[in-house]
Amino acid sequence: MMENRSFDHMLGALHAEDARINGLAGNETNPDTANEPAQVAPQAEFQSQLDPDPDHSFPAVQKQLFFGTPGPPAVAAMQGFVQSYWDQQHNVAHSHKIMYCFAPGKLPVLHTLAQSYAVFNGWFSSIPGPTVCNRAFAHYGTSFGQVNLDIFYVKDASESIYERMLAAGRTTKLYYFDPSSSTQEVVNLLKNQPQIFGTYQQFLEDCKNNALPDYSFVEPNYSDHPGDDGGELLASDQHPDHDVQAGEVFIASIYDAIRQNPDLWQSTALLITYDEHGGIYDHVPPPACIPDGFHAPLADTNNMPFAFDRLGVRVPSILVSPWIAKGTVVPGPEDPANGRVFEHASIPATITQHFIGNYDNRTPREKAAQTFLDLLTDEMRPDSDCPTIEFE
Amino acid sequence: MAQPPVIRVPKPARSSYQPNRPLSKSSLLQSQVKHFRDLEKDLPPERQTGIPIDSITTEGQAAEYIRRMTVQLHRPPGGV
Repeated sequence: MMENRSFDHMLGALHAEDARINGLAGNETNPDTANEPAQVAPQAEFQSQLDPDPDHSFPAVQKQLFFGTPGPPAVAAMQGFVQSYWDQQHNVAHSHKIMYCFAPGKLPVLHTLAQSYAVFNGWFSSIPGPTVCNRAFAHYGTSFGQVNLDIFYVKDASESIYERMLAAGRTTKLYYFDPSSSTQEVVNLLKNQPQIFGTYQQFLEDCKNNALPDYSFVEPNYSDHPGDDGGELLASDQHPDHDVQAGEVFIASIYDAIRQNPDLWQSTALLITYDEHGGIYDHVPPPACIPDGFHAPLADTNNMPFAFDRLGVRVPSILVSPWIAKGTVVPGPEDPANGRVFEHASIPATITQHFIGNYDNRTPREKAAQTFLDLLTDEMRPDSDCPTIEFE
Repeated sequence: MAQPPVIRVPKPARSSYQPNRPLSKSSLLQSQVKHFRDLEKDLPPERQTGIPIDSITTEGQAAEYIRRMTVQLHRPPGGV
């Protein structure tokens, strides 16, 4: 799971190459503070463009979504991204950069994998807010009522997907990059369940040795820091203002580790996703969802009632496997008849369905979440059809 | 025999490496430091880092604090 980039920012320009991908037509705009239209443009850069880090706290995201509308329950207009970014620096020209997207081919790894395997038009972050609460949905199927970056505490008997897997006699591991990067939001588990954790290096070795557990969750490097050998380790999470290319290398290395092992390649599904949009523009209004039973504290929402009954901004998600038909585009809200809506609770929902089966001790939200293994077909693609990696 | 398509992956620029980036630029890393600090309070004194949280002002310093805390916490049950 990567950090803080919206679907349109990373993949939106692919719409020009494949009209089924619900990206950008190129004429989408947001009003700036001079009431001039700021238009989307394929001018995103790897680094030094989104500095300061765009605000993606709960109140800021409400502005991004509902600017120019009466607010929820109205449908989000997606017209407040530029205004929200302006709030941080009061620089009109700079605020337009929140509309930029990556040109086709500028992200060779993400763009090629999206077009070679399955890309989701309708995968949304779980909450219109920041990292920690969104990542919690991938681990627990809920954030236990939180919409911010505070450490969260498990408020009922809900178990993480890792604890569920172990209780069911399955194997699982959460691989963080290294001790200097460590894990986000599940540090409590690090203390209480250390056996479920491993490192990125161990992940690579486990891939080589056919030792991957049934379910793995891999975290990128969250900081620039020295390695054990004194070398320079770049943050690979793609969080602004970290280098997006370093994230490309990271994603490629995960794919390559699986792809290089024939046994693993044919028995593994790799989901690449992003925790939230990071304040960056996307044009698709987040839909409503089944509440998870909590209400956010009003102090955290700028007094806007929030019952976890609508999703956050859309994020890139790609499912990789040789059992997926080439060029699969999973329709989203743009297709009222066949569209499907996914969110991070879809992750524990899918893992639970596949490895555990009936399991009741989870939120209504997770129980209702779409699962995605039905995208696997019964026909394995030939090796020559599946891209390989060459690191320059 | 047909060869699979190749994805060529460029190296990031060396200038991208900025461990002295101010911690104040990343609410995410700030919160991660706070989370570890929250756990550190419950550790016995001999396992605490002794690093004052206010002295952590760069991304590299945050990484070093997180490293020391992770090493303390990520131990096998019953380990020392």
